[in-house]
Amino acid sequence: MELIFKIVAIGMITCIATLIIKPIRSDFALMIALAGGVIILVMLLNYLTSVFDTFNLIINSTGISSSLYSLVLKIVGIGYLIEFSASMCNDSGNSSLGDKILFGGKIVIMVMALPIITNILQIIAELLPA
Amino acid sequence: MGVEIIFKIAAIGILTAIVGQILKQTGKEEISSLATLAGLIIVLLMVLGLVGNLFDTIKTMFNF
Repeated sequence: MELIFKIVAIGMITCIATLIIKPIRSDFALMIALAGGVIILVMLLNYLTSVFDTFNLIINSTGISSSLYSLVLKIVGIGYLIEFSASMCNDSGNSSLGDKILFGGKIVIMVMALPIITNILQIIAELLPA
Repeated sequence: MGVEIIFKIAAIGILTAIVGQILKQTGKEEISSLATLAGLIIVLLMVLGLVGNLFDTIKTMFNF
């Protein structure tokens, strides 16, 4: 629970530091924003570990193959990374580069999801009467 | 890993700005630009380490 206060504090400190530095050296302001964003994200990821442990427990008890689960997990990870880097590019003024990163992430996620789709098709084909 | 890196980057930014201004005032333009570049590279390396840390965390976390 005290994590939210930490995140808010780090966010505000980063914001103020960026505002102070921007008129002096505008290229350092982006670095500060990047550092603050990474710190917040790492804190959140450490917090998420308990959620993933619970998910692991549920998956193990349902008997779904763990390769599928890890694939979904990877896709979620790619989503977080892409979102972070794309918003970073947008902040620095390169919004078209951010859009390209988003596009690349979508394509990578689609390629990674193809095995799941073929799996579903296989299951449907098995269910259908020959 | 903490807030101190934000203050560090801000301090380096202010410091390089001041050093650059002083060097520029004394007429050493090329050294001034070199000092600015050095500050930028130091901060870049710090942020690079941070981002690498984030990537490692994500890699271990999401079973890459």
